[in-house]
Amino acid sequence: MVIQCKDLLKIYFSGEELHALDGVSLSIQKGEFVSVMGPSGCGKSTLLNILGLLDQPTGGEYFLNGTPTARIKDSVRSRLRRQNIGFIFQSFNLMPRLSVLENIALPMRYSGIERKLILPRARELAQQVGLEKKIYNTPQQLSGGQCQRVACARALANRPSLILADEPTGNLDSKSSQDILNLLQQLNQKGLTIIMVTHDPKIAAGTQRTIHMKDGKIV
Amino acid sequence: MKLPDLMLTGWAEIRAHKMRSFLSFFAIAIGIATFFYTLSILSQRYEDIDQTVKISGQGRISTSTSHALTMTQYQDFLHLLPANTSLSLVTDWGNWGTSPWYKGQEITKMGLVGVLPSWRDVDFVYRLEGRFFNWQDIENKSRVAVIMVRPREKEADSSWSTYGPDPENPTIALEELTYRHNLLNQLIQIGQETFTVVGILHIPPVKDDPRFLSNRDYISLIQIPYTTWYDIQPSYRDYFETNIRIVTGQENTANTAATQTVSFLRSQFGPEEKPDIQFFRDTVKDYIQIAYAELKKMLFLGFIAMIAGGIGIMNVTMAVIYSRTKEIGIRRALGATQWDILFQFLIEAMLLGFCGSAAGMLLGYGALLRTAEDVSQMTFSWWVVVLSVLIGLFTSFLFALYPAWQAAKLKPIDALKYE
Ligand SMILES: Nc1ncnc2c1ncn2[C@@H]1O[C@H](COP(=O)(O)OP(=O)(O)O)[C@@H](O)[C@H]1O
Ligand SMILES: [Mg+2]
Repeated sequence: MVIQCKDLLKIYFSGEELHALDGVSLSIQKGEFVSVMGPSGCGKSTLLNILGLLDQPTGGEYFLNGTPTARIKDSVRSRLRRQNIGFIFQSFNLMPRLSVLENIALPMRYSGIERKLILPRARELAQQVGLEKKIYNTPQQLSGGQCQRVACARALANRPSLILADEPTGNLDSKSSQDILNLLQQLNQKGLTIIMVTHDPKIAAGTQRTIHMKDGKIV
Repeated sequence: MKLPDLMLTGWAEIRAHKMRSFLSFFAIAIGIATFFYTLSILSQRYEDIDQTVKISGQGRISTSTSHALTMTQYQDFLHLLPANTSLSLVTDWGNWGTSPWYKGQEITKMGLVGVLPSWRDVDFVYRLEGRFFNWQDIENKSRVAVIMVRPREKEADSSWSTYGPDPENPTIALEELTYRHNLLNQLIQIGQETFTVVGILHIPPVKDDPRFLSNRDYISLIQIPYTTWYDIQPSYRDYFETNIRIVTGQENTANTAATQTVSFLRSQFGPEEKPDIQFFRDTVKDYIQIAYAELKKMLFLGFIAMIAGGIGIMNVTMAVIYSRTKEIGIRRALGATQWDILFQFLIEAMLLGFCGSAAGMLLGYGALLRTAEDVSQMTFSWWVVVLSVLIGLFTSFLFALYPAWQAAKLKPIDALKYE
């Protein structure tokens, strides 16, 4: 079991209480490709951020690879994130001044692997997403689809077991969206667990299981 | 993140924000320039004092007595003092001065003093032409003279001669005379006596003179043997003081020498003899204190400048962090720890601090060159360079610490959502 959540609660106190997550229980097996759907503001991103250890729930339990994550230090959260999780965002979140190659290499800069191994691996990943000709370009010189492929390569850099993708195709045309979906499907076939938020039923149809959310709950 | 990567990242950010970087850099440079300038001057000052102490001799004391000493008394005195002590007696020079004559030409009035060969044991900064007195001269009360000549380039400096030319009685200054004639082995007339000039002491230019101001020669003098001085002017025995200078060669024997001096003078001239002993180390202490007080003032200025520089760094680091919050969030999502973020901003600030220090030192060096009396006398000390860089690095570290820490403790999700 890669992910196991019980009664996850996320409450924002801004003026009045807002239950962004209102008792979410969820299990995801190793190797699953899960999509999360639901109306805007129903708590999909909140859930994903908690699963990715970027955010902490107000209540409930969350086990990542069997490890409880409730009371762990920030340094351990960082390490778990670095070693196990790759993120893909709707807005790509690439470093605008770094080249494609350096963007892909960035997670490895934090992972402690030998420096001389970093760029060869980054190059390999660029090839894997079909961008070996663009490695010295900056993100501004790429199309949206290409940017998202860089983000995918970056997410893979530290060989994570879990990919969390928050509307990865939200900013892409249908052709590019399909490419990204194909890429994620390939990765899933190699054994990666993937959780992907999407609005697009056609994209969701390409996954093995769809979770529907509404008002902070799974329905 | 490893140090080379942190530095590369820092450098890239510095270059990407040229204006902001420049402001920090400029502030630090000004602060370091002040420090570098101050420290260089201090270093020079201490080196000067060090050199002065070396040339002045260790365990140096001085006093005076209103009696003239015979050479027998001199020997007895010397034997009382610690071994290898240099004992020098110099007569007062007579406050009305002497007008010597050379080949029918009157020379401007100047001081005439009686000295012993031991006079040259310390503080001998002169270039000697000919010879100095020997003990034979003392014993024979020889009519020999050594004249002191100041360097020619200082000719225009009027502060040198107390005795200005008297328009009604045109005389020639000894200096002037020596520039025109080589007086070595020539005869000069002093009072009723004829003296042979056996030596010429060339005084170094003021800027090259390592002695403390109080030990320098403000007036060129004619020196003659101590015994000769009293021989040609017997009444002077009752009028003038003898200045006594004792250099034991070791600081720890100075006190003993002082006690022995007092008891010797009392044994010779009676219990009413109350010599005022001056320890040279006190003079040195005074000089160091003056240098130190001056330095403190300048360091305070440097300190203020560094605080200004530091606040500049802090301000810029703060601004950088606000504008890069999103980036911090992305880095945290990719696995950066709080330390990674902290170090990233610290290293970036310290890189700027380092560059600022380098520029500041150049600036400070320029200021030194402009203000130095004599560039060739300037010594370059590595410790000043190292200290300046350390101060620059430390200041930027210190002032970047708070903003960097603020950046490090941002929650990853908050940073990531920041637009
Ligand atoms: N930092 C926050 N402070 C207050 N409310 C928030 C915050 N982040 C998200 N929310 C609210 O929580 C709810 C869930 O948001 P989110 O998980 O982003 O929705 P989704 O991704 O499904 O569109 C929304 O109503 C949103 O306004
Ligand atoms: Mg969302």
